[in-house]
Amino acid sequence: MRNKWLLVMMIPAFLFVILFLYFPLAKGVVMAFQNYNMFDLTNLHFIGLDNFKAIITDPYTNFWQILWNTLIWLVFSLVFQFLLGFTLALLLKKPFAGRGIYSGLVFYTWALSGFAIGLIWSWLFNGQFGLFNDILIRLSLIETPLGFLSTPKLAMMSVIITNIWYGVPFFGIMLLAALQSVPNELYEASTLDGCGAVKQLFYVTIPYIKPTIVSTILLRTMWIVNYPDIIYAMTNGGPVNSTNILATQMINEVFKQYDYGQGSAFGVVIMVILFIYSVIYLKLTKSSEDSI
Amino acid sequence: MKRVLVALLVFMLSISLFAGGSSESSSSDSSGKIKLTFFETMTSPGRTQVLQNLIAEYESLNPNIEIELISPPYEQADNRLSMMLNSNQELDVIEVRDYTQKQFVNNGKLLDLTPYIENWAEKDDFMPVAHEISRNVDDTPYILTSCLYVKALLVRTDILEKYGIPIPTTMDEMYEASKQLAAANPNQFGYALRGKSNTFKISDVLMFGNVGDINTEMCYETNDGKYWLDNENGKKAMEQYLDLYKNGCPADSINWGFNEQINGFISGTTPFLVQDPDVIGSLEGQLDPSLYTVVPLPVGTSGYRYLDYGYNGFAISTTSKHPDEAWAFISWLNGSEKNGEFCKAYGPLPVFQSVYENDDYFSSDKYQAWADELVAEDTIFVKFPIDSEKYPAWAQVQEQGMQAMLMGTVSVDDTIKTFKEYWGY
Repeated sequence: MRNKWLLVMMIPAFLFVILFLYFPLAKGVVMAFQNYNMFDLTNLHFIGLDNFKAIITDPYTNFWQILWNTLIWLVFSLVFQFLLGFTLALLLKKPFAGRGIYSGLVFYTWALSGFAIGLIWSWLFNGQFGLFNDILIRLSLIETPLGFLSTPKLAMMSVIITNIWYGVPFFGIMLLAALQSVPNELYEASTLDGCGAVKQLFYVTIPYIKPTIVSTILLRTMWIVNYPDIIYAMTNGGPVNSTNILATQMINEVFKQYDYGQGSAFGVVIMVILFIYSVIYLKLTKSSEDSI
Repeated sequence: MKRVLVALLVFMLSISLFAGGSSESSSSDSSGKIKLTFFETMTSPGRTQVLQNLIAEYESLNPNIEIELISPPYEQADNRLSMMLNSNQELDVIEVRDYTQKQFVNNGKLLDLTPYIENWAEKDDFMPVAHEISRNVDDTPYILTSCLYVKALLVRTDILEKYGIPIPTTMDEMYEASKQLAAANPNQFGYALRGKSNTFKISDVLMFGNVGDINTEMCYETNDGKYWLDNENGKKAMEQYLDLYKNGCPADSINWGFNEQINGFISGTTPFLVQDPDVIGSLEGQLDPSLYTVVPLPVGTSGYRYLDYGYNGFAISTTSKHPDEAWAFISWLNGSEKNGEFCKAYGPLPVFQSVYENDDYFSSDKYQAWADELVAEDTIFVKFPIDSEKYPAWAQVQEQGMQAMLMGTVSVDDTIKTFKEYWGY
């Protein structure tokens, strides 16, 4: 009886979750199989896998290049965000005068909107009036300004640098919190056993905060793949598709081409990739945990 | 018993939580006031404020009317509106623009305004081009045109004087002047090229004049129904554009959007800028007005300038329960008096002849170029194929194609071939 009663009381919460979380999700997936185009909504019907075929074979927006761009964007952003974020957390672990203010300032970037960051950095990287060009010219490293955002290879590098700058504080905050939970006794004991700082890092600190590392990397991967703001504001996916990732192309399909069907198809592709990634990732990290 | 009551309460609560709001959409409240909903799409903070002030004024003049303004952020507004219309939510006045006019008409969401416009006192003052735009789809006035966006050439007179270059009146002169400026000084360039975000709206307008004989209903065809980019003039226009980029524009302009263009103009790096009239507002406070002027877009070798026009207007939704009141409101909001006021506060060109004649602001030198251009004999208005199903994706295809061509990774001939195939010729 009591259990039944509990179920009844939970109905509003269930309804809430279904209506606002799973319904839109299901609707998005369904749209990926329909010819859902804002230009003609009088003729809505299911078209099977046509949207997926269309986005993969589109001769004007190279799907495989977009996929490759997404991978480059993810790997470089993630690796450097993690390494720098972890270093930052280690540096901030020991108390020093003004640590509170200092960490506040360092973590501040995390609170900025991605679009605003994109706009600010596109001025820094501007190939005509930008700060970076100015510095490089003053240092006599270059003679004529570099087109950071107008040369394909430099453009990808520039948006990744911006994304790294943005994402470092996230790892910093999360890992710092985890670091502070490592009991001091462990360090004392390991020192007695003759561990140096490096060994302590690899045999005490990292194993202890591993669950945090695993979950933050997983979260961050999803966010980076789903994060079009910076690219959208800085290069709009250009020049010539060189910084176009799945998430920015999805925006193009929906907001510029009004093709909700193909936009949703991109969404489903992202979802499937991330799902497979999560399953494999969690399996791998779990098995290595067991082996410890 | 108590439990049953509580269960009932929980049930009711959850129902009302999700069905909430449906009861308030009734359009006239107990005081007998008629409530109109007004959906704004080209939202910006300043613009919304102007509309709110106008609405307050209208409400004080018509105490029985209450207007609720819906102003979603610009980026989502068109999509939100489509969604609301497609789920048949009750809306009265909606803002429609060039991109959405066809779509809304196709989906049967707009009311035919013919009976209202026929009896409208201001219909003769309403400019012919505005009437034409109202009837753009199916030759039926589904919208009341409100603002126009037409390109003109902005020139930094101080820079040109410094280098002793006269203000260009033909496209070839502007190309030459740009190259001269760029050759004179490594930090000086000529033309503020638009490399990203709807590039075609500017790059193609530059080419039309040198191609000539453009079909006004479909600007990628000549009047004989053929695609023009691969004819002799078209190819030459494309090569000239490439030459302009290489020898008259900053290399970085391949990635220039609106903001970078404006910055290039303000800094003087690129003293030629082809833009819409709302740019005047963006320049205000950043550039001394005595340092620049606006002239009609230079004519091409054909002797004509071909201009496309952007526009927005107001329409009445087919779900409206008060179309007469909605018309009364939009014909006031979009009457000659308020139209001038609205455009002045916000930037685009008004649609009434009398505004250009009587309003000091729009008869000033900065706007004179546009006023002249709109009625000049060597101006021909053309339309981009916005009805085509190919149109929505064109911006991205063209942007990438042009960027590749300007960077030199794809030849002019191949670019033309790609574009021709895209349009299916």
